[in-house]
Amino acid sequence: MRRGSVLQLLGLGAVAAAITTAVAVLIPWLPESASKESTRIHFVYWFTTVIAIVVFAAVVAVLAYSIIHFRARPDDDSDGPPTHGHTTLEIVWTAIPAVLVTAISIVSAIVLAENGRAGSNPLVVKVTAQQFAWQFTYPNGKTYGSLTVPKGRHVKLEITAKDVIHSFWVPEFSQKQDAVPGQTNSLVITPTHLGTFPVICTELCGLGHALMRSHTDVVTPAKFADFMKNGANAGPPGLAVFQSNGCGSCHTFKPASATGKVGPDLDDLAAAAAKANRGPLAKFIEESIVDPSAYVAPGFSDGVMPHIYKQIPPDQLQQLVQYLSQGAK
Amino acid sequence: MTDVAHAHDHAHHSAPAPPTGWHRLTAPGWLRVLWVTPIGFGLGLGLPVLLRWAAGWHPFWDGTVLVTIELVTTPLFFLIGLGGFDYWAHYASGRPTRPEDHSGHGAKSWRDYFRINTDHKVIGIQYVVTTIIFFCIGGLLAMMFRAELAQPGDQFFNPQTFNVLVSNHAALMIFLFIIPAFAGLGNYVIPLMIGTTDMAFPRLNALSFWLLPIAGVILVAGMATPGGGPSAGWTCYAPLCSHQPLGQVFFNMGVQWAGASSIMTALNFLVTIITMRAPGMTFWRMPLLVWANFTTSLLVVIATPFIAGSQFFVMFDRVMHTNFFEANGGGYVLGYQHIFWFYSHPAVYIMMLPGFGIISEVISVMSRKPIFGYRLMALSLMAILVLGFSVWAHHMFVAGMAGWLRVPMMVTSMVIAVPTGIKIFSWLATMWNGRIHMTTPMLFALGFLSMFVIGGLSGIYLASVPIDIHASDTYFIVAHIHYVLFGGSVFTIFAGIYYWFPKMTGRMYNERLGKLHFWLTFTGFNLTFFPMHYIGLQGMPRRVADYAGRFADINLFISIASFGLGASTLVFLYNMVYSWRHGEAAEGNPWRALTLEWQVSSPPPVFNFDEIPQVVGNPYEYGVPGARHAIFGAPHPEPVGAAD
Repeated sequence: MRRGSVLQLLGLGAVAAAITTAVAVLIPWLPESASKESTRIHFVYWFTTVIAIVVFAAVVAVLAYSIIHFRARPDDDSDGPPTHGHTTLEIVWTAIPAVLVTAISIVSAIVLAENGRAGSNPLVVKVTAQQFAWQFTYPNGKTYGSLTVPKGRHVKLEITAKDVIHSFWVPEFSQKQDAVPGQTNSLVITPTHLGTFPVICTELCGLGHALMRSHTDVVTPAKFADFMKNGANAGPPGLAVFQSNGCGSCHTFKPASATGKVGPDLDDLAAAAAKANRGPLAKFIEESIVDPSAYVAPGFSDGVMPHIYKQIPPDQLQQLVQYLSQGAK
Repeated sequence: MTDVAHAHDHAHHSAPAPPTGWHRLTAPGWLRVLWVTPIGFGLGLGLPVLLRWAAGWHPFWDGTVLVTIELVTTPLFFLIGLGGFDYWAHYASGRPTRPEDHSGHGAKSWRDYFRINTDHKVIGIQYVVTTIIFFCIGGLLAMMFRAELAQPGDQFFNPQTFNVLVSNHAALMIFLFIIPAFAGLGNYVIPLMIGTTDMAFPRLNALSFWLLPIAGVILVAGMATPGGGPSAGWTCYAPLCSHQPLGQVFFNMGVQWAGASSIMTALNFLVTIITMRAPGMTFWRMPLLVWANFTTSLLVVIATPFIAGSQFFVMFDRVMHTNFFEANGGGYVLGYQHIFWFYSHPAVYIMMLPGFGIISEVISVMSRKPIFGYRLMALSLMAILVLGFSVWAHHMFVAGMAGWLRVPMMVTSMVIAVPTGIKIFSWLATMWNGRIHMTTPMLFALGFLSMFVIGGLSGIYLASVPIDIHASDTYFIVAHIHYVLFGGSVFTIFAGIYYWFPKMTGRMYNERLGKLHFWLTFTGFNLTFFPMHYIGLQGMPRRVADYAGRFADINLFISIASFGLGASTLVFLYNMVYSWRHGEAAEGNPWRALTLEWQVSSPPPVFNFDEIPQVVGNPYEYGVPGARHAIFGAPHPEPVGAAD
């Protein structure tokens, strides 16, 4: 190759690398890290990105150079030189990618091992997913619809599901784990930033999947100690049942600020009960929760409302029925 | 071994006189379909009800059972009516089989494309046209849910409909477009490329095509099921899919028909390539497209039974109340994913390797240079085939499978980048110093090359377990698979269709419209899918009808871009339809290519070659003075394998 061609090829590569680097750096691709695990994952991401930029720039440079210099005129019927291969070159472009992916693998494996360590005294929170809500149960036996964790302490989530597969994800923590019926998976999070972050279900789990969201509060250790002692200040007991069962993912109910559109609007419960004509309001509500196929509201299909709510403990069920009946009046 | 002389003896026989009177009702064809299909429907309905009644099982009418059985019997009797089994039925019943008169061969009018036709060239065109129809349907579904996603909240569709649109978009694009489109192109080109008259099993070939529209109709019909269509995603994870409305059965069964079609074609490709190569066509003289379809067929034959198994188990769980994947009944929930991905990861290569073959043909011919490192190119296909079976669990890094499995699966997934890299670099080296002709197939090949590099690199991110834990099940995945399957596979399909259009139709496509189509698709593709990397990493999960308000602007942008991408297909369709009818006549070898399919007229004669060629050299010897790939009229060709 002539020296001018080499310089031009390098120039094209530099331009491609500069543009790609600008795209990689100027756009905030990743959310702000809020956990130790996330910071490590971001490191792997940037390590890989540097390699990816070099590879991409090299390919684009050769491609652009070829298109510019080796393009045939329309009337050019000649053939190129009959080069069949070049053993050294082929060994080089087998070996270099092999080395690069090995490097990425090693870094990834180390980070994966680090991110699985929960230390000697983790806070263990049991996470139970169901259509379409999250339940977080603390060592003191209390259960909430959102996650509260102290800053700086290892948190070990023990995740399972009641019905179908769900997946727990907080983008700012970067950690993600499927919730699978019949087994318990664990996930370690060590929060580093105070604040409120979204909890998102990332595994298609049915009609309310998109709205199967909750949030996590990262608080100071002092505040967390207070939370463990006194719990969150709650509204009526039925509201907690409503939230922890995820009713709001599918139903609209103003007292709970729920806006789901999958199932019937619960603000119209009184009218719906009158129309259904299946006994008093409270009985109608209870029946619709534990046996949704007994009566299906016009305009909705049977089988959409899950049949799992007959598992709600009787005292909680009564709280929920009472809460809904009051809201309906 | 195909006997050429035999083919010639019969080639000029006139077709038998068309049946008259009552015989029109019993002869294979659409009239027979009209009365045979209802028999199948009646049997599927009557037998289960009768048996349940006799056994005293209530209810006698069980919708799930009836639909499952109907989706087997009705299509089966449709095929009987059309004549898919006639020859074998004659043989099995001891009647004298009709001598092969080749009346089922070739197409003289458009009607011949609507019957059981044993000509691989007709079947190839049947495949390609059918798959393009499903490509358009799948694309329309995508634009419908992009309309819904243009804003957060509910606009046009409820969550059930949205999930159906997403699920069927993917199912149609994968099972009814990409995989069978490659089967169609391969069907047309492979026998020509290896210098033979047809596929090894022409009747099986015809049957495997007709399974395809059946699968497509089942999947599309599923959307109209009362209670909602299949809505558990194309991955159809248990236990969600076992508890979906009735429409889900249409998915479970539709996939079986498509899978059976795929396996039958792959067997046919394997036998054809192994036993029917022209004399002198050794494995190391085969064009890379043939190599690519050879490896792909091995993948299909080994892997596709696994998706059949996964869908059967789910169907059993639903219809027969077994507990393969039901945790409450002692089932193993993640078992579904292991079986499913043991097919569906190799399926990614089933959707990619034939494209690699097409790109090798196009880049070598359009650069007027031999393929750089031909043997390593073929060996890297085999390496991908082997490695492809060792990476399935990288789809399950967050699923909660055995923890020790993650690192080895990461390493094998990373290693696959090496043979893939070899292919990319070899294509670049093939272009180097060449005489590059920027025709439409070449534009799509270069578009593929650049986009597939992006898809491959995002694949490296996802192979790394920690990054995958963050990015899994988000829009980053959606971006990645579209860079691989659209920027990858679909671009290669377009390259292949434009490249062989003159051969298949005997006419040239409009080059200017072809280039316009490329640039619109390339631009629309990047505007649609590149921003998805960003919203995914930032926190938008996939398969959601509603999303956080902060993603509203960028989703609106993506939706508008996707409509542009969809509209670009109109240019393609117009070009294809118009050029097929009115394009200027194509010569036998418009690209001045060396491979065998270009050494015959466009379109080729019914039996491809007036005389079987003698292969004497490699298929890509551009620039080598006096080099020949094959010669015609050699004295007494000895068929390959004749001495065995």
